[in-house]
Amino acid sequence: MTTTGELVASVHIDAPPDTVYPYFTDADLMVRWLGTTATLDPTPGGVFAVDVDDTAARGTYLSLNPPRSVVFTWGMPGSDTLPPGGTTVEVTLTPADGGTLVTLVHRGLPAEHRRSHQEGWRTFLGNLTTAAARSRPAS
Amino acid sequence: MPEPAHKAASAAAPQAPSADAVFKALADPHRRQILRLVQLRALPAGQIAAQFEMTQQGVSLHLTVLKKAGLLTERRDGTRRLYQLRPEALRPARAVLDEFWPGALARLKQAVEIDHHPTGDDPRP
Repeated sequence: MTTTGELVASVHIDAPPDTVYPYFTDADLMVRWLGTTATLDPTPGGVFAVDVDDTAARGTYLSLNPPRSVVFTWGMPGSDTLPPGGTTVEVTLTPADGGTLVTLVHRGLPAEHRRSHQEGWRTFLGNLTTAAARSRPAS
Repeated sequence: MPEPAHKAASAAAPQAPSADAVFKALADPHRRQILRLVQLRALPAGQIAAQFEMTQQGVSLHLTVLKKAGLLTERRDGTRRLYQLRPEALRPARAVLDEFWPGALARLKQAVEIDHHPTGDDPRP
């Protein structure tokens, strides 16, 4: 875990980048692994909308470089800590061991907003649980 | 960002509110401020309300949302009700956040490798 509002995850897939890439841009393939419905317009500025269970993830594609990288924004309507378009997900596909290394970085708000993002609920959760762990409730 | 697999599990126990309920409760700055106020000590509703430019009724509604999400405990002290953070309620939300993308990428791997092994060769896990 980091305290910078950045999450990194990666996985190796036994298929080439050409094969993996459309799973980030084609709605039918997207819902094979993320969400239940998706509306995707894979052009810069195009819609990125995925319903994950009963939570709506909303954003736009920022850049597409098939089959090597795709960047989109990510947020939830009605959330002031994760507003639509409020965070950025960058996916990089690197050929590795005959397959593809998928690296995903989910970043917080842009640099000028980073200070306020520190108040985001991820940090908030960490602060609360740390503080709570220190203080034993009076029996 | 909930885990789809947990959809059915959330109905019964008030002790185990869904991560989604916790996320929704936290998606409001007033409610987060309330939790900060009561994270180390129990406070009566009136003392919480005094910190906000909001009616007591408004604060009461926020307290209800937080209680339903399991984030607050409530106990009686004479005629007053005291509220305090229930920190263990935050765990599922934090776990979902930490596990969201690793879980999603694991499903991506599975989907790609199943889709592209049409002969039925077992894809490597």
